[in-house]
Amino acid sequence: MEVRELKTLLVLMRDYGLVELEIEDKKGKVRLVRAGGRASVDATEAGSQAHLAVRAASPIKMAMRHVEATEEEGSKAAGRIELAPNQKLIESPMVGTFYRAGSPDAAPFVEEGSSVRKGQPLCIIEAMKMMNEIESPAAGRVIRIIAENGNPIEYGQPLMIIEVT
Amino acid sequence: MFKKMLIANRGTIAIRIIRACRELGISTVAVYSTADKNALHVRMADESVCIGPPAAEDSYMNIPAILSAATTFGADAVHPGYGFLSENGDFAEACQRSGLNFVGPRARHIRLMGDKPRARRIMKRAGVPVLPGSEGTGVTELREAQADAKRLGYPVLIKAAAGGGGKGMRVARDAAELTRLFPQAQGESELSFNSRKMYLEKYLKHARHVEFQILADLHRNAIHLGERDCSIQRRHQKLIEESPCPTLTARLREKMGKAAVRAAEVVGYSNVGTVEFLLAGSGVFYFIEMNTRIQVEHGVTEMVTGVDLVKESIRMAMGERLGLKQRQVKFDGASMEFRIYAEDPERHIPSPGVVTNHHPPGGLGVRVETALYDGYRVPVQYDPLIAKLIVHAETRVEVIARAKAALREYVIDGIKTNIPLHLKILHDPDFNRGEFSTDFLTRYEPAQPDAAHHAPVSKAS
Repeated sequence: MEVRELKTLLVLMRDYGLVELEIEDKKGKVRLVRAGGRASVDATEAGSQAHLAVRAASPIKMAMRHVEATEEEGSKAAGRIELAPNQKLIESPMVGTFYRAGSPDAAPFVEEGSSVRKGQPLCIIEAMKMMNEIESPAAGRVIRIIAENGNPIEYGQPLMIIEVT
Repeated sequence: MFKKMLIANRGTIAIRIIRACRELGISTVAVYSTADKNALHVRMADESVCIGPPAAEDSYMNIPAILSAATTFGADAVHPGYGFLSENGDFAEACQRSGLNFVGPRARHIRLMGDKPRARRIMKRAGVPVLPGSEGTGVTELREAQADAKRLGYPVLIKAAAGGGGKGMRVARDAAELTRLFPQAQGESELSFNSRKMYLEKYLKHARHVEFQILADLHRNAIHLGERDCSIQRRHQKLIEESPCPTLTARLREKMGKAAVRAAEVVGYSNVGTVEFLLAGSGVFYFIEMNTRIQVEHGVTEMVTGVDLVKESIRMAMGERLGLKQRQVKFDGASMEFRIYAEDPERHIPSPGVVTNHHPPGGLGVRVETALYDGYRVPVQYDPLIAKLIVHAETRVEVIARAKAALREYVIDGIKTNIPLHLKILHDPDFNRGEFSTDFLTRYEPAQPDAAHHAPVSKAS
């Protein structure tokens, strides 16, 4: 792919607020990632003379992905929580009701201060009478439980903070 | 009476539904994707719930997320608006199963009318004229399409059996074009509707798109609220709609209106719906399809009949009886709607961005339906329809004058819109005479090939 074409794509990405762009056609594939003004390019091309024809008639596969949790995005409740580099925010992957235990009379899965293994259940989001266990993404310690037991939860709403060990 | 309505939509129609609910004393729950955090419908509703990431299939078309939001936040009814899940029979059924009242027709009517070849068969049997086209359940193989085209004579229109909104639709002028375009249309249908089933219709070059608004209750009463002429369209996407149709005689209106009501009655349809016809120059008309939801252009019918269609859709869903009989429907003056898109008017490509200044026009007979506000960022992920200007006056001539004044007054800074194109159309002599057909806008197509690179973005409605 020629530099001129890459430049055009980068301008388009900036104008449309795209962070990642992947284009693939018969001749090859290019993936552009833009992060905070920096741009990285990685391309695999089928032939040395490969070039990209940007027209709808040719089968171009475009994958567009937007960054989550920038100031523009993320649910209303998110965004104002400061995290140390070794801390992970657990956000709800779905809309539903937040439960800290598997049943009303069972003990909570975790408390603040509990140590957790990777994959250990942290809580439940009930959506349409389905109990969805939310697992810890890493081994560490629960340092804060943000959501209240039994409360309705939005997509992307902060539930807990885990300190990764 | 419903207590709490979840609005499974965004943009102008979500605002429209929130307003109707307020008047009826129903509280509202807005749902939104992370890209719509700052959208007006989120701010206007009594409660709002984030249901997923920007991609529509993960948020506004995510049935489990929407049902979970409705049940978790205690809604007892769901309004689908237009686009997204509004014509999804599975969604209507899932709502009912979850104990939620779906504001729209029954799931089986959505499915029936969504299967276009089947709808054509039923209409034909009921004596509603349909365009000559593929018989039976449709075609999946090119050779079947070739045989149909040969029988119909070119040009033919290739359509998706599960289609809508111009997707999976192509005009073929000869056998070579059919061979080339059929697989294209089929591919689009597969992508958009997950269906390879297509059908052909005879393509009428100089026909008008005239549709009738239907209102039907759950007690088998149905009326029509007159027609809308939606011939001003670009690649099967409507741009300007008006009521009444400038060339329809009272006699033809009555005949077409009866056919539209019959189309609804024969299947036992309920709630709001629209029966679309093609009207040939000779006064011959053909059923094309029925849309089983509120339309984008419902406003023009509201202006000339005084009936609030969104409130009616909610009342009908609550089981209320129709308050109007056909002879009580009175038509007052003329109305036009101008769809304002965030797009470059020259090249017809989307123009998302921040609206730095929004000043909508006002005055007698001027109505603006929009979700814009100063500082709002028009997201790239969704339909570029950002506002609808609806104008009402005593006569069509006055409507055009009023529309010109209103469009000149409308300020939307920061992004490009198609307002200049609307003004061009309003100055077109043929448009002023009311003499146009669905191919009218081809005269305003850009000369450069850029626009052809962009598939139609907006939803059909």
